[in-house]
Amino acid sequence: MEPERLTLPASAGSLSAFCEFVRGGAAAAGIAVSEFGKLDLVLEEILINIARYAYSPGDGAVEVKYSLEAEGRLRVEIGDSGRVFNPLEANPPDLSAPLNSRRIGGLGLFLVREMVDSIDYRREDNRNILSFTFPRTSRAE
Amino acid sequence: MKIEPTELEKAVLLKVSGRMDAENAHEFEDACQHWIATGAKHLIADLNGLQYVSSMGLRCFLSVAQKLQSASGSLMLCGLNGLPRQVFEMTRLIALFPVFETSQQAIATL
Repeated sequence: MEPERLTLPASAGSLSAFCEFVRGGAAAAGIAVSEFGKLDLVLEEILINIARYAYSPGDGAVEVKYSLEAEGRLRVEIGDSGRVFNPLEANPPDLSAPLNSRRIGGLGLFLVREMVDSIDYRREDNRNILSFTFPRTSRAE
Repeated sequence: MKIEPTELEKAVLLKVSGRMDAENAHEFEDACQHWIATGAKHLIADLNGLQYVSSMGLRCFLSVAQKLQSASGSLMLCGLNGLPRQVFEMTRLIALFPVFETSQQAIATL
């Protein structure tokens, strides 16, 4: 099938529309409704990162694209035209630090990696493109 | 998201329900700040009705807990279930908070 696309401003205000859009794809792919919260979370974390790092200061658009990868699996691509920003290069958070020294950042992308498979970043035509499949089927450990 | 506070003898109970996301997580932190400013040492967040929390919400829980800890107080969590529980477990934040099944159990420790 041809991928479905939606382009909106990179801001928290676009979040619910993006979530509703991709949930439509998830439902069509036969993904259990119980997984939809995780899908929302993945989209939120990525969108907020783009607004904060790729476009700030300033603003721009984000394109979310999805296609059916297999029964029960969705392939999602999120693209922006901001500055070069590869979220996969960010340092992982220290999950064992005690409360008083626990750092507040880095948890969003950590959660994304926990909830998706085959996450990949590429720079193409002056755009950042992050792709993944959902839901996660394998679990390391 | 809805936040319903109840003043108790030794703590303030905040019943949080709905979705805590990038757009509204600051409302939870603001509510906690308000009660800390009025002298509350212990806050109990009842998350039984919370359906969703993203990293922005986690930041707020962490920041409030750090403030309370430095004032010898605490942010206690109860009723954690579903996606919020999974998120607290994945990030191992669950180990940094006193966690209880019910608000009664949290209150009993004070």
